[in-house]
Amino acid sequence: MPKQLLQGNQAIAMAAEVAGLKFFAGYPITPASEIIHEMVNKKHIKVLQMEDEIASLNAVIGASLAGLKAMTATSGPGFSLMQESIGLAHMMEVPLVIVNVQRVGPSTGMPTLPAQGDVIQCIHGSHGDYFPIVFYPNSVFELYKFTVNAFNAAEESMSPVILLSDGYISHLYETIIPHRDFDIKKRDRQPLGAGNRHFTGLSHEDSLPKTSDIDNYRRLITRLHEKQQLTAQRYNDYEYIECSKDTDTLLISYGALSRIAYHFKDTFSLYRPIRMFPVVEEIKIIAPRYKRIIIMEMNTGQYAHEIERILHREVEFIPILGGRIDLVEINQKLLGVNHDRRP
Amino acid sequence: MNKDTGFKRYLKIDLLPTPWCPGCGNGIVLKTICQAFDELNLPKNGTVVVSGIGCAGRSAGFFDLDSVHTAHGRAIPVAEGIKYANDALNVVVVSGDGDLLGIGGNHLLHAIRRNTNITVICYANEIYGMTGGQVSPTTPHGTKTLTTPNGNQDQPANVQSLFKHHNCYYARTTAYHLNHMKKCITEALKFNGFSFVEARTMCIVNYGRRLGYKNSNEMLLHYKEFYKVNDNATELAQNEIGIIKSAS
Ligand SMILES: Cc1ncc(C[n+]2csc(CCOP(=O)(O)OP(=O)(O)O)c2C)c(N)n1
Ligand code: SF4
Repeated sequence: MPKQLLQGNQAIAMAAEVAGLKFFAGYPITPASEIIHEMVNKKHIKVLQMEDEIASLNAVIGASLAGLKAMTATSGPGFSLMQESIGLAHMMEVPLVIVNVQRVGPSTGMPTLPAQGDVIQCIHGSHGDYFPIVFYPNSVFELYKFTVNAFNAAEESMSPVILLSDGYISHLYETIIPHRDFDIKKRDRQPLGAGNRHFTGLSHEDSLPKTSDIDNYRRLITRLHEKQQLTAQRYNDYEYIECSKDTDTLLISYGALSRIAYHFKDTFSLYRPIRMFPVVEEIKIIAPRYKRIIIMEMNTGQYAHEIERILHREVEFIPILGGRIDLVEINQKLLGVNHDRRP
Repeated sequence: MNKDTGFKRYLKIDLLPTPWCPGCGNGIVLKTICQAFDELNLPKNGTVVVSGIGCAGRSAGFFDLDSVHTAHGRAIPVAEGIKYANDALNVVVVSGDGDLLGIGGNHLLHAIRRNTNITVICYANEIYGMTGGQVSPTTPHGTKTLTTPNGNQDQPANVQSLFKHHNCYYARTTAYHLNHMKKCITEALKFNGFSFVEARTMCIVNYGRRLGYKNSNEMLLHYKEFYKVNDNATELAQNEIGIIKSAS
């Protein structure tokens, strides 16, 4: 397999094809549009540009129920519009992949600049309780690899899986070997048109809506939760780099920002979650070795709160806002003490 | 699967009764859809029903076929995804006027433009039934509802006008005109392209009784008296029902 110079978004499109993608629906948005541009040139993939992101995700849901591997790609404003249907896809157990290439928000924000402001929206953006699997790679090769993993995890969990990216890594060019050495999971359900099943967003048992059976609802949510945990365990992906020198500090970062964190590997130990949600349990084993935990992220502390919740301890955090990733500035912030909670 | 013959084979008879109020017109539309399926002998494997949310939307679960009960307003894009994924399927949307024309209105506009080969049957009861009787996109001007205590200030949607200049199928019919409704639905299912049936039907509990109708039979009689059949029109007058296959 020859090396290829690929853009992050191109790598996502290429990997989706390797994973068996047959249907793509989307709506143009910076910095995700290159994905649909790639898709329209692929022979065996049906591509629809819909009227908005709501229609896009709903068409993807329909296509997936009809038996095809299906995906959509967007950025924050579109991801916000998709939240309703994300809940629906969890309730109806529809496997699909959603790529969110993050840009600076809220609202229209700064469209061309990268951010990490949609991290918590991934797990709490739709109403009610649901338990999505979320990956966040930090290189073009990882975008390639985890796109395939996202499709596999979707089939295993029968749920929508989210692949997070950001305007930085999606627009990055790197040389990768786009190998095809993956075990590709097949659909474990008959396509629509094969029976008398009823797929519904209402609480249900098998094909029967059960709108006021409380015990059934509790069983349903427990089953959905356990199913997600079980699939997630097969993808315990994270990166841990122990500092060669003595240090009492663990620096946590992910996505675009984690690339600059490598610069500090001789000062701090580094930890990078790749499977963002459900949070990889190993952090509970690694964290107690360090007196200080610093989390650096391109938002005002979204993952930091999650880590605090899981570790039951306070962490320091450094928000890097507005899309600027600047080594001098980060160096200054990291080597100062008492990182407080002001952006 | 249900072993009945005739139109009943398309229904999950064991699940009856429906959650609808006594006197609701939805059952008439549901039955007529099944009769149209039966007339065309649609294969149960190979036909999919998709609905949105509302009283009408609950229809989907009663078909003895694969069915999808989507979010409010989203039946059409889900149905389009199904159809574009597998062109061999017959894809039929059943939902309310609020669902299809209000919250889902933008999807309808674009499905017409794409001329996706699916059939949409709109249970047009002039009201948001499920949520208690608020004004809907088909409520006539001046009508009092929970949210228009002084009468609806707006004009109802002119649904047929959306289809003008598009190579689609549009029909209007009512729950009184049973044979006409069956014909409208059968023709719609046979149509190669996007087809839409606006089936006027009665919500007695959250609409009709507030307008002074004593029972749903009186609402049916109103349809009988008010609507005239005109199957050769290029445009239907307000008091006409009929089929328009748009000129290409
Ligand atoms: C996003 C969203 N908003 C509001 C509702 C509440 N809701 C349920 S049914 C309905 C109206 C349905 O009206 P229509 O489509 O006319 O159907 P009918 O009940 O009259 O058959 C509304 C507003 C909802 N389920 N989802
Ligand atoms: S509220 Fe109206 S539309 Fe809904 S079931 Fe009752 S009568 Fe039918």
